[in-house]
Amino acid sequence: MPEETERIVVSGMGLITALGKGCTAHLAALKLQKSGLRHPKILQTIHAAEFMLGEVQLDDAYMMSFLGIPTEKKGYSRTTLISLYGMADLLDSVDLSWLQKQEKLAFINANTVGGMSTVENLYMEMISDRIDEETDQWIDTVDCAESTEFVARFFGLKPAMATISTACSSSANSIIVGARMLQHGLADVVVAGGGDALSRFTLNGFHSLKNVDREACKPFDQNRNGLNLGEGAGYVLLERESTARARGANILAILSGYSNHNDAYHPTAPSPDGSGAVRTMLGALEHAGLPPESIHYINAHGTATLNNDHAEGLAIQQLWDGNPPAFSSTKPFTGHTLAAAGVVEAILSIVAMNEGMIPPNLNWTTKMEELEVAPSTLPKEQNIDHVMSNSFGFGGNNVSLIFSKA
Amino acid sequence: MKQPLYIKAAVAISPQESFEDSKFLKPIITSNNGKLFAIDAAYQQYISPVAIRRMSRIMKMTISCAMEALKRATVATPDAIITGTGRGGVTDMEHFVKDMIRLEEGAMNPTAFIQSTYNSPNGWIAMQSKCTGYNQTYVHRGSSFELALQDAQMLAAETKNPINILVGCFDELTEDYYHIRRKRGYWKNPAVASDQLYKHPELKGTIAGEGTTFFVLSNQKEGTFCEISNLKIVYRATAEIIANALQELLSEENLRVEDIDIALVGENGDSTQALLYEGVSATLEGVPTLRFKHLCGEFDTASGFATWYAAYLLAEEKSPALRRRNLVLINHYILGSASLIFLKKTSFLEATF
Amino acid sequence: MDDLKLSLKQQIIDSLNLQGMKPEDIEDDAPLFGEGLGLDSIDSLELMVLLERNYGIKIEDAREGRKVLNSVQTMADYIKEHSPNG
Repeated sequence: MPEETERIVVSGMGLITALGKGCTAHLAALKLQKSGLRHPKILQTIHAAEFMLGEVQLDDAYMMSFLGIPTEKKGYSRTTLISLYGMADLLDSVDLSWLQKQEKLAFINANTVGGMSTVENLYMEMISDRIDEETDQWIDTVDCAESTEFVARFFGLKPAMATISTACSSSANSIIVGARMLQHGLADVVVAGGGDALSRFTLNGFHSLKNVDREACKPFDQNRNGLNLGEGAGYVLLERESTARARGANILAILSGYSNHNDAYHPTAPSPDGSGAVRTMLGALEHAGLPPESIHYINAHGTATLNNDHAEGLAIQQLWDGNPPAFSSTKPFTGHTLAAAGVVEAILSIVAMNEGMIPPNLNWTTKMEELEVAPSTLPKEQNIDHVMSNSFGFGGNNVSLIFSKA
Repeated sequence: MKQPLYIKAAVAISPQESFEDSKFLKPIITSNNGKLFAIDAAYQQYISPVAIRRMSRIMKMTISCAMEALKRATVATPDAIITGTGRGGVTDMEHFVKDMIRLEEGAMNPTAFIQSTYNSPNGWIAMQSKCTGYNQTYVHRGSSFELALQDAQMLAAETKNPINILVGCFDELTEDYYHIRRKRGYWKNPAVASDQLYKHPELKGTIAGEGTTFFVLSNQKEGTFCEISNLKIVYRATAEIIANALQELLSEENLRVEDIDIALVGENGDSTQALLYEGVSATLEGVPTLRFKHLCGEFDTASGFATWYAAYLLAEEKSPALRRRNLVLINHYILGSASLIFLKKTSFLEATF
Repeated sequence: MDDLKLSLKQQIIDSLNLQGMKPEDIEDDAPLFGEGLGLDSIDSLELMVLLERNYGIKIEDAREGRKVLNSVQTMADYIKEHSPNG
């Protein structure tokens, strides 16, 4: 970080994915190599038997009940419910009444398709001439800001708000924007993250790109076939280091550096020589003032698509001169949680760092022909001082985050 | 946030002839059916035939507007690209959803899906301008453009080196969009002529619009005529909160009300929403006030058009009697947000104030 | 066979919105991707949609798709071999 800017720290984390709720559940799953992927039981799709998904194993009614929302109450999209649930997990370790009193609070959220999971089932009704308040009101949930505004209101918060939508890197960007708002004094406390729910829109969208695997995905494997979609939400509490220390907060990690670059190559594919990924990872290292060898673990974007793993694999190999740190993709555990992926994987990276454990890259058997390097395939105890987490989104939006031990 | 962003170029594709300054409001283009559609530019001049053939109208419009802004600023490759949109590529989204339903999740066209992603235009602009720098897309209703602007302010403050930031916004109006929201009571019913927008307080609602605006913004004053000096984003707007924000802004700019030469306000013809401006109308009494939503319609990123219009007004100063050095833009959006943007001419010396 | 290739060419032009092109402009054996028409990976996906919707042929594998979509000739051959109606 440049000298004049204060260090930003992570002083709270919460998440919900196919692995369950909370950091403890996620760490256990990583250690036990227990994936959350399954054929969907909640998403009603014609493709249910075809695809493995990282579905949050709680239906809407359960989540509403957990959150204390009467089940007759309408207007809660699954995206909003999952986001509320993820926020509730954060609030298990962050005092809500303290948060409500913060005068300069910012809430930076992210998602990709808003309340589409509900709207797609009601769309034909909406565009009909029939006026039905109960159906038509859902149109105001289709945009990305719906869950942001809802989460803030639900928990009695009155923050500055922003919703970011940059596909797969969205919530990694939430963390960057939140950190910068702290440094510019636009906020004193930030909740940053994102959430996405599975929808037929997204499933069929990715299926049309023919990069979805029917089986559990195999990141960095020669015989990989594509990604598994997932859903989830994650939120981190960010503060300037001085504020956090002054109030005796439990500092979980330092956000040492970050980088956001555009690949400027193709609408959905990364530059095949990995140069876009190299630029971004190098950018984060430079921002952190750290040499490459200081990174002890890379949580890769690792979607298991032909294009991403080729580009990212080459980039990791090149940047570390053939001798990279342990790296793995945790997407075989959670699926690709889209807008939530950035923050979920940041949290998993921090959990791994604080536990001193390299999460395994599941389902890997065969090294990619074009690579010398291979991911770490078994849970492994190892000291981690600095961890890098990558998120590379459609539209060439590439983000790398570096967290360090507090 | 108080942080100057100097405007090197500003381009708007809107329901008015805004693409070329000389034609703007000569005459004012009106509509009678409650919808103001943007006037298309010659998109094929900005986008290759190979790329353009797949693109929806809003994609073509947004990319062209951005490339024209870069051209006018004589900046080939910006250092960063930040966009804001309330609704994104609506046509593509509608196309994909309806096909999905019709074909019962059968073979789907990937193009519509890809283009419906909110940061897709940003990605295209980055490709065309070969920009590998910072890129961000905000999707937060009536604050989408303002959040993009705020991010640009942060970027400008983060470096002492000259930086060119391409900031823009886009939103499109479709028949489905209009229809569903008509059922929700967004629009005046029956529709009113756009030039009569403020004359029907008895009818709830407003008229619909669309458009895209792009600015090339710099942290260097040299060669620019105008700056965005201050921005305030209000999330849960009331008349009182907006009025307080205005006072705060004046104090931060070290100005008295008399120093404001023009106020540009976002009243949209809805009488209940007009109440949001009550607090500031008292403060701004005596300040020449203009409205803009009869020109562009109401949509999430209308404040982008308004900011372009503000820069146009400041550049238009024709005589010393028509003093235009400071302009405050106050806008609200239907779903509860508001913003204040303060612009001023950079070509005047401090001493003449 | 000739009718099939002619229809295919028109469908390709329509589906990919190749404005100003006519079927006569596309040679049977000319590579569709890379040089020439300048089609890309998204176009190849759109062509797979065309095959599925118009000829009932599903190509699941992106790798297989590249071989089938090499030219109008290879597409026509594949359709003749795999069409449920053929």
